[in-house]
Amino acid sequence: MTSAIATGRPVRPGAARPPVLEVSDLRAYYQTRYFGIEREVRAVDDVSLRVAPNEIYGLAGESSCGKTTLIKAIAGVIRPPLNIVGGTVRFRFEGATLSVYESDPGALAAIRWRHLSYIMQASMGVLNPVRRVRSSFIDFAYRHIARPMPAFWEIVVGHLERLHLQPEVLDAYPHELSGGMRQRVTIALATVCRPEFIIADEPTTALDVVVQKGVLAMIREVQRELGSSLLFVTHDLAVHANLTDRLGIMYAGRLVEEGPTADVFREPQHPYTRHLIASLPRIGDTAPKKGLGGAPPNLADPPPGCRFHPRCPLAMAVCREQNPPLVAIGPDRRVACFAVTPETAS
Amino acid sequence: MLTILRDLLRYNREFAAGTALMAFVLIISCLSFLSPYSPQDIYLVPPDVPPSWAYPLGTTSRGQDTFWILTFAIRNTLLFGFTVAIISRILSLIIGLLSGYLGGAVDRVLMSINDTFIVIPLFPILVLFYFVMRDSMTWALLALVMACLGWAYDARLIRSITMSLRTREFTESGIFSGMTTRQIVTQEHLPYVLPIMFSTTMNNMNWSIGLEVTLSVLGFTNINTPTIGVMIYWANQHTALVAGIWWWIFFPVALVVITFIGLFLLAVSMNEYIDPRSRLSRMGGAPS
Repeated sequence: MTSAIATGRPVRPGAARPPVLEVSDLRAYYQTRYFGIEREVRAVDDVSLRVAPNEIYGLAGESSCGKTTLIKAIAGVIRPPLNIVGGTVRFRFEGATLSVYESDPGALAAIRWRHLSYIMQASMGVLNPVRRVRSSFIDFAYRHIARPMPAFWEIVVGHLERLHLQPEVLDAYPHELSGGMRQRVTIALATVCRPEFIIADEPTTALDVVVQKGVLAMIREVQRELGSSLLFVTHDLAVHANLTDRLGIMYAGRLVEEGPTADVFREPQHPYTRHLIASLPRIGDTAPKKGLGGAPPNLADPPPGCRFHPRCPLAMAVCREQNPPLVAIGPDRRVACFAVTPETAS
Repeated sequence: MLTILRDLLRYNREFAAGTALMAFVLIISCLSFLSPYSPQDIYLVPPDVPPSWAYPLGTTSRGQDTFWILTFAIRNTLLFGFTVAIISRILSLIIGLLSGYLGGAVDRVLMSINDTFIVIPLFPILVLFYFVMRDSMTWALLALVMACLGWAYDARLIRSITMSLRTREFTESGIFSGMTTRQIVTQEHLPYVLPIMFSTTMNNMNWSIGLEVTLSVLGFTNINTPTIGVMIYWANQHTALVAGIWWWIFFPVALVVITFIGLFLLAVSMNEYIDPRSRLSRMGGAPS
């Protein structure tokens, strides 16, 4: 597979530099064995992607398509029954390459939070309900900022200001803060060490659109200021349109399309992406939206060939037998569909 | 710390009442150090004297001053309850937290031990212990045995809470940020389970004092160490109720009830301080 990023037009200055994150052929399965019955849910299957420095990479897809599993696998926060079956995840921080599943655990622990930060899904729960916000900062961030206590609090307060938070929130309990404030505290907590790479898993899903707008603007502001890369996951396409530079669309555990966000919205290639984009309401459009028939496949027993073929209006015979590879169809564009790239069928 | 205590005393009626009751009980038990009589000696005063100015709580049929023997009894009973509670709390906290957090093989081993302790009948075991140990059965040993029998239910409770905590985002974030297992368990999970621990401490003291009284009344403990139960045992031996020596039974029972109420009030008000959310839930009625 050719590198789409290296040949494509730079999305932002710095995009041509070597990627910060390189995921290749990653497979992460939930493997369970109860009462002699083995089950394997292929939540992430053969996913490859790259994220350039200073880039916001969006990951979209419906619920249960494997978004969260993918970023858990990328962050290395897996625990049984989730297992990594194959593939590699490599980060490049300060010139040194680190492979999440090959390097030793100590090296991985050293980069976490300091270089690689993770804003969890339902991140309201990141703050311990029985401890003050101040304690969470000490627990999570203090050891990564090798400074004495007073200097540490100076950094924290300065960073809170950047997110328009008063220093008083440090002495509050999480339940004393509003949802938006809590979210900002969580983001502050995840970014206070100025990480080069931030993973954000639906950080704004639980918020109303007004608060969401503010929080998104802050995420972008912090990201610009720190020059970090951001891997942003949400099923909300409007958020992707607003925030991300590049967009990857996932379906049933696979990456089916990838490209600069604007291009994906303007000219979606994969039939799934097309339906996804077409389902978005547009101003002035009064025609009723037609849903796509069927449901996402059971990942414990995915259909052979292309996983989208049972619902695909363009399904051909080859789609039932072969899995379409994700190939470059232009500068910085990749798609996995035989209808778009018939030449990839063997 | 002192200001917290002052505010609790000023604004929390349960705490103030609990402190007053416990202070009363503690003062009485401390008075045992001033006792003019040894608790082992009998027939020091005229027996069966009803409460009077000379003997405020009367005297027993064994010729002991009920008041002074009561001070020894409540001191030993309180010490017994605290000892059992502290040892069994430490056991149930460590086992519950580790089992819930680590899961897997550790959990299976610890919980099979735990379930064994839940299903074995306590009372026959304690009686058996008494018959095996006989004269070497001091109250310290009895406290240790009861602590070893009294942690299992609460360890399961702590485990179930920890199992839910370990799937929360703050645990995952903690692991992700590089906190060790010990740090996560002690800094993130322990504060969460402490309020529950306080309630179970109450429960446990209640249980252990009650069981000690039961054993003593039946004579299955060292009857030469005065406790509330041993006092009732001797009163029964002398058929105090039949003989109309009601003060021999009434005062120890009243004092132990005061102890229970005092500890309960303290536990409730402590919960409120430790768990800030319960302050909110106390403000409003049922969710509608």
